[in-house]
Amino acid sequence: MERVDRYAELIVRVGANVQPGQRVFINAAVEHADLVRALTRAAYSAGAEYVDVLYGDGHVRRAMIENADEDVLTYSPPWMVERMSNSADGGALIMVAGDPDPELLADLNQTRVGKARLISVLEQARRGQNTRTMSWTIAACPVAGWAEQVFGEPDVERLWGAVAETVGLDEPDPVAAWREHTARLRERAVQLNERRFDALRYTGPGTELTVGLLPEHKWMGGGTETTSGVFHVANMPTEEVFTTPDRRRADGTIRSTLPLQLGGTVVHDLVVTLADGRIVDVSASVGVDAVRAQLDTDDSARHLGELALVDGTSRVGKTGITFFNTLFDENATCHIAFGSAIQAATDGSLDGLDTNGLQERGLNVSAVHTDFMVGGQEVTVTGVHKDGSEETIIEKDVWQLS
Amino acid sequence: MAAELDERLEKYAELAVKVGTNLQPGQDLFITAIVQHAPLVRALTRAGYAAGARYVDVLYTDQHVRKAKLELGPEGAVGYSPEWLKERWSAMAGNATFGTTGDPEPELLAGLDGQLVGRDRMTGVIEIAMKHYSDHVLNWSGLAYPNEGWATKVFGKPDVEKLWEAVAFCTRLNEPDPVAAWQEHVAKLKARAAILNQRKFDAIRYRGPGTDLTVGLLDQADWLAAEFTTASGIPYVPNMPTEEVFTTPDCRRAEGYITSTKPLALAGDVVEGLKVTFKDGKIVEVDAKHGADVVRGQLASDERAAYLGELALVDGDSKVGQTGLTFFDTLYDENATCHIAYGFAIVECIRGELGEGVNASSTVHTDFMVGGPQLDVDGITAAGEAVPILREDVWQLTS
Repeated sequence: MERVDRYAELIVRVGANVQPGQRVFINAAVEHADLVRALTRAAYSAGAEYVDVLYGDGHVRRAMIENADEDVLTYSPPWMVERMSNSADGGALIMVAGDPDPELLADLNQTRVGKARLISVLEQARRGQNTRTMSWTIAACPVAGWAEQVFGEPDVERLWGAVAETVGLDEPDPVAAWREHTARLRERAVQLNERRFDALRYTGPGTELTVGLLPEHKWMGGGTETTSGVFHVANMPTEEVFTTPDRRRADGTIRSTLPLQLGGTVVHDLVVTLADGRIVDVSASVGVDAVRAQLDTDDSARHLGELALVDGTSRVGKTGITFFNTLFDENATCHIAFGSAIQAATDGSLDGLDTNGLQERGLNVSAVHTDFMVGGQEVTVTGVHKDGSEETIIEKDVWQLS
Repeated sequence: MAAELDERLEKYAELAVKVGTNLQPGQDLFITAIVQHAPLVRALTRAGYAAGARYVDVLYTDQHVRKAKLELGPEGAVGYSPEWLKERWSAMAGNATFGTTGDPEPELLAGLDGQLVGRDRMTGVIEIAMKHYSDHVLNWSGLAYPNEGWATKVFGKPDVEKLWEAVAFCTRLNEPDPVAAWQEHVAKLKARAAILNQRKFDAIRYRGPGTDLTVGLLDQADWLAAEFTTASGIPYVPNMPTEEVFTTPDCRRAEGYITSTKPLALAGDVVEGLKVTFKDGKIVEVDAKHGADVVRGQLASDERAAYLGELALVDGDSKVGQTGLTFFDTLYDENATCHIAYGFAIVECIRGELGEGVNASSTVHTDFMVGGPQLDVDGITAAGEAVPILREDVWQLTS
């Protein structure tokens, strides 16, 4: 079996976990055609009722952003909304990442670039995710433009090698290896959920930060189950267990340990200082303005929305590569996000509250969600109980709980 | 930053938007193309916005995805029209649309069961499109994109540049002022149509090697050429290139047999040496050296597929014919020489309500080529007199 077919099978069987009789929707760029075709074959082989492919095209989008009227920037063709609604209602959705042309929109008016979103389509996708009626996954397709960004040359073969490594494609039985892997991540989430920590503390060079957790917090990792009981893995690769913090409680300073790709800029040596849950100072050797611009997006952008734990066993981390793609980079090592919380990472008792209600209960709501990496050999992550007692979670990049 | 643009491709797209769809400011532009045509699609998108399109809606199709469906998918997926695609086609009313041709992999589906391939047509979507054509609510156009696979089919090697030169010649893109050249060309073809309409022939007779067929004409059908006009008054050129003068025949009256003079690219296969026999308007026999099953599969896809929908006349002046090439692409080959089509009528030709003689309910429309120097075409008057229209590829009717 060709590598692309083995990869596609893994995405279909483990990622989306396509069920016999299910409709499968694939969203990809035209440059991803080879993988899309393999995914289509794999999905039909898994018993798909119908496979519907929607190819996007960055150049078509560029022309739209350059020329269309302001109100068209957020226009969703009704048929695309209908398609995503169909996907949300019990379908399987496979989204292919891997930017074929990372600089394509760089010279355009960035306000228009930022505004151009298929809002009604995204709402349907979010509905399928939040109501857990859709099994979905995001996986990446190595392409020349992305390879150039990672390696400085369009070495697609090398990028294929790296991607294959991160998803365990060279294992004798990749599907079985993934089952083992997701079981381990779920076990970690269970360990953390049993402990009901009140806060996490990060210590390391330039880092001394304590972040509060909500009584309602839930650790997640490894995958999600739909309401009909289909276990799917939303990100391939995935190495993290994650939860959502208390937006009101974070104090100290934290230093990012990897470069951060932010809207066409790469931020180096980011240092963030928080007081009473709010980011009060940022510095960076390169790109600090891009971070400040994001933090000024709305009132809540300066509060935290996610804590994620990744240890040294991460296949992504082991490659030593910066992928300039969140799907990979956030799985290289521990990370924290400022901006919007992950509401699914709560026990459900906050569901139904409006934005104000959520924020009052400590759950952050913002248009921004930006992950930055804070991990590695020198960062220790400690769980703090309500009574002040502590337990080490990660030390020297090794998971400590059992 | 966007890559450097291919000037010829951008000009081609601009010509197609101006002359082909004649896109009006504020219209949406719907482009449906196979994924290998992305460079043309991008250029059309840019030209569309430059001409004032409100929004350009692109749908890429992928023959490999279709092949996977036919090889591995369930029976229910064959010919299935997803609701969202029907919705897309419904939304086209009142707007401009492009389709593209130029098959990058002409043999891709050749190994599959021809009947299965013939049956796999999104009839739910096609019916909506046919309704739009009947209602004259689309300014639509089709054009080809030169690519390696197509060039290999034509020349035996992937000489895309040579194919581009042929395409530029046929679409008058190489003229100093392509838009003016098109205006002149459209006027010439419309004059031929006007003469045929004055003559009011009762039937057309084809004679040649393997061919002796008489097809009845309708009182209510006009001969048309090159340019259509939407109900809202937008003139547009549906095919680039176009060299034909055409009408919709009386689908009840066709007697005899006719042999195709060029290969026919159909549903991922190439049909060679097609010969069809008619009785009382209906195709009752299909023979071919290769691919007869693909034709039979298509003819079986609905009750009216086996009746005629179009007669088209092309002479040796045709730029497509002048290239001497077989393009293995209907958009080109049908403009090289005379052709006829089984299936859906050209409803644009019909004056008034669609009468019984109009084949208006089929979801198929397949052109095949019958012309060349050895084909004699006559108009038969109501009195039974035969008037030569074409002899040795030369147009005979000047008044």
